[in-house]
Amino acid sequence: MTGRGSPSRFLAAVLHNGVGRYVRQLQRLQLLFSPTAADARGARQFVEEAALDFARQHPDVVLYINPRSCPAPLLLAEYLNGTVREELIASKTSEEIVQLATKLAGQSGLDIIRIRKPFHTNNPSIQGQWHPLTNKPSALTVHGPRLQPQ
Amino acid sequence: MVLLSAPRWLRSRLTDRFWRVQEVLKYARHFRGRKNRCYKLAVRSVRRAFVKSTKARREKKRFLRALWITRIEAASLEHGLKYPAFISNLLKSQVELNRKMIADLAIYEPKTFKSLAALAQRRRQEGFLAALGDGKEPDGIFSRIVHHY
Repeated sequence: MTGRGSPSRFLAAVLHNGVGRYVRQLQRLQLLFSPTAADARGARQFVEEAALDFARQHPDVVLYINPRSCPAPLLLAEYLNGTVREELIASKTSEEIVQLATKLAGQSGLDIIRIRKPFHTNNPSIQGQWHPLTNKPSALTVHGPRLQPQ
Repeated sequence: MVLLSAPRWLRSRLTDRFWRVQEVLKYARHFRGRKNRCYKLAVRSVRRAFVKSTKARREKKRFLRALWITRIEAASLEHGLKYPAFISNLLKSQVELNRKMIADLAIYEPKTFKSLAALAQRRRQEGFLAALGDGKEPDGIFSRIVHHY
């Protein structure tokens, strides 16, 4: 897990999200669970109790409930930029699944890798970035009218 | 050992050796020479790389602070002040900017940095007057301490 051995990116918002309208980057949440397995009990309780509230609180996220025989209960999150994140929800309680789903709904689909700097700006300089002639007298930079020799 | 005959020995084969090897090699791909390809050499290099990266986190803070100090020194010398005078007089004028911010201002806001340098210079002059004068003149303006409590 070195700086150059693992990928890294700069802090960014997807398409300047939030400058104007905020668009939720989570497109759909698929809940895959088995109706009989023991470790999917939390998922089943989530579907019975909290799924409707979650869907009402996040109207721009489509929630798919897929009860079928699968080896482990999964929460699949798909984002607008195509990223798909799978989270295991085996042996989790309903509250924990709600917390996990809320966390996924707040994320953008950008990679979860090291962020080089915790800040980013497109306009870092207002007064003009320093260059070697900034603090030099203006006789060096300003070309005045050519005076005829007297 | 229970597996005493050939058919029983073959029952348990290692099937994911490839992925176990790739887990280590993926951190060695940008190395130079055979240690980016050969597992035996890569294991040692990757372990040393991890250890160095762990230890370097403490040095990074020292290195960055030295870089900021170098930049502030260069910028304040452009305005005729040395780094110790600049920093000490800025602190005496209750400007509590850290070296990172002052270095960023020197790069991206040169006029603000010029005004900071002027402030430090004036506070320095007032300090000299207070020390060398006879006490007849009033205290300097920038030497006043503002209490925020």
